[in-house]
Amino acid sequence: MIDWQYSESIESPEIVSIKKKYTNYIGGKFVEPKSKKYINTISPSTEELLSKVPLSNEQDINSAVKAGKEGLEVWSKLTPNQRSRYLFKIARLIQERSREFAVLESIDGGKPIKESRDFDLPQVAANFFYFAGWADKLDLSWATKSLKPYGVVGQIIPWNFPLLMLAWKIAPALATGNTVVLKPAETTPLTALLFAEICEQAGLPPGVVNIVTGDGSTGSLIVNHKDINKIAFTGSTQVGKLIQKSLAGRDVGLTLELGGKAANIVYEDAAIDQAVEGVVNGIFFNQGHVCCAGSRLLLQESIHDQFVKKLEKRMQSLRVGNPLDKNTDIGAINSKEQLDKITDLVNEGVEDGGELFQTQCELPGNGFWFRPTLFTNVQPSYSIAREEIFGPVLTTLTFRTPEEAVEIANNTEYGLSAGVWTEKGSKILWTADRLDAGVVWANTFNKFDPSSPFGGYKESGFGREGGRHGLLSYLKASS
Amino acid sequence: MIDIKKTYKNYVHGKYVRSESGKTYTKELKNEVYELPLTSKKDIRDAVTSSKDGYKKWSSTTPYLRMQILYRLSEMIEGNKESYVELLMYHGLTKQKAIKDIDESIQNIVWFAGLADKWEQLAGNLNPVSEEYFNISHQNPIGVIFSLSGSDVSLNELLMSILPSLTVGCSVISYSEENSVLALKFAEDINNSDFPSGSLNILTGKFENILNDVSKHVEINLVALHKELGNDGLKAIEQNASESVKRIVSQPSIEGLSSILPYLETKTVWHPKGT
Repeated sequence: MIDWQYSESIESPEIVSIKKKYTNYIGGKFVEPKSKKYINTISPSTEELLSKVPLSNEQDINSAVKAGKEGLEVWSKLTPNQRSRYLFKIARLIQERSREFAVLESIDGGKPIKESRDFDLPQVAANFFYFAGWADKLDLSWATKSLKPYGVVGQIIPWNFPLLMLAWKIAPALATGNTVVLKPAETTPLTALLFAEICEQAGLPPGVVNIVTGDGSTGSLIVNHKDINKIAFTGSTQVGKLIQKSLAGRDVGLTLELGGKAANIVYEDAAIDQAVEGVVNGIFFNQGHVCCAGSRLLLQESIHDQFVKKLEKRMQSLRVGNPLDKNTDIGAINSKEQLDKITDLVNEGVEDGGELFQTQCELPGNGFWFRPTLFTNVQPSYSIAREEIFGPVLTTLTFRTPEEAVEIANNTEYGLSAGVWTEKGSKILWTADRLDAGVVWANTFNKFDPSSPFGGYKESGFGREGGRHGLLSYLKASS
Repeated sequence: MIDIKKTYKNYVHGKYVRSESGKTYTKELKNEVYELPLTSKKDIRDAVTSSKDGYKKWSSTTPYLRMQILYRLSEMIEGNKESYVELLMYHGLTKQKAIKDIDESIQNIVWFAGLADKWEQLAGNLNPVSEEYFNISHQNPIGVIFSLSGSDVSLNELLMSILPSLTVGCSVISYSEENSVLALKFAEDINNSDFPSGSLNILTGKFENILNDVSKHVEINLVALHKELGNDGLKAIEQNASESVKRIVSQPSIEGLSSILPYLETKTVWHPKGT
């Protein structure tokens, strides 16, 4: 008899030491907030209090922006090659402390460790490596010398990929010669504050990266600060519009990466089993807390019944539970507020007449959880087919012809991403050309790479992050 | 003999039309008073309907053909050079300056004509992702552009507010206030160059009358301001634009490749490689 030894399936939290209280990171120093106020950050999988972080006020933001301006003095005088080396160094340090960050990300945000460990953190390091190499090649990037950095950039990031969004923001901003004031999301501030230690370890000049925590009011103070030269925001379309409005008439750059309601189109000639996997990954990755999630499944009528049957069977095998369990597929919903929003929209879907399927699984007693959910028999007018749910909820619509698929897919104010499944190459290219979406995944979904530009059409925002195109978000064309 | 004076009208969907409002504003040139269309809200809505249709046609025209149509525009202007010079001189320019303006205009049209089938190679690229995927970023024109031209009387300046977006396949509503006579004369050469109807509409009037309608119209995808507006004007436009995340560019760069970048949406397509 072979005695199979199973490894412990729970990732140990011991690798991280969470402080009782954190400070802001301004001008290269860890400083108590002048507001003297703090907000709690909890674990969404246990509802236990993890720590307290500053609720920064106007004085704190003033200090941070001032530090950013001072940092710019130093940063802009370094040679491009020196800036490049700092970014390479940060990338290496992240790789070295990768597991620590991954565990903290899962504890603070609720995402499964297999995602934070195998997706978020490798991508974070890769982003710093990628942009490190651009820092001394900007003159080659767009064949023009008229592109200049903005100066001090305010960056406001969401809670779904806390450290990865930080990397998407900070790496290109620094590579292009800007300095930053970054505010992590209210519910997931801890990995950004740990990143401040990396900046210190890397010996980054004071003020180049400043990290301030707080809530929406803090974000608004950054947006409205008179010395901010550019705002980069990732979050909801609703808040994005408010930011665009606040900046009206001011000479401040803006890029917005906002919401989405991506269509995932499955043609009858698709490889069905692969498409089922792709659709599951498209909506249930990161609990569906993904702006580019494939939340509208568009099935060609002829395969509807067969596809839904396979999909339900596959969904049933998804494991929901402890984010630190290496076997977990779906972790905790990020906050009570988000759970309520998902619940309300799903209830509305049922009232509207959508047919509900939810997997049967035990949910932990504490924490915020939502079962993987599929709606069929949905009309395009239902809220669940129009609004961004930002949770593990998939809505199914049907179509008969490719033209109709494209029309339904584009019939939304959003335009962030889309998926196409077919074994016919010409149909992929035809469809991709017609979709109003910044990213089109063909026979795949939710793939990311630092070299691949990401960002939306229409009300999903403007500007790109990643790739050569991502540099333009941090460079101003001066005539 | 009594002189025959030209009647200037808006140019919408390949036709010369008066403002539906029946209103005009006047401009005096060389002791002649010209009545120019005072574009109304309804005119803007009509122009947008036309531009949406024009966008479909123009953006699906092959780059090879777009290049030739743009080049034909330079041929038209070259042929009418003297009349442009004369008109610019009526506006008070010296003959030397007027000739220079037209020469520069022609040169820029030729430059953009040649860019029509090259910008995708300059602005797009394969992305070296670290897994087995084919990954390409290429561009779509952003759609319907409203472009407010500058206040100097200059064909070249007018053209630089139109050519970058038109070249990449956007349809353009060009709006002129000060250089309206020149813009409406220019419409005649557009009309003779085989542009599909609606790809370029040319209107004149007072921008303040239509500022709100333009910035709120959800089917205008981008507003380009090639003129410095008072802070309140820009603020109002940008506030209105935020309701639909509309793109606003104020005095954008007109230099080289950076001139076309605001008018492009980058689309990135992934596909696995495998057997």
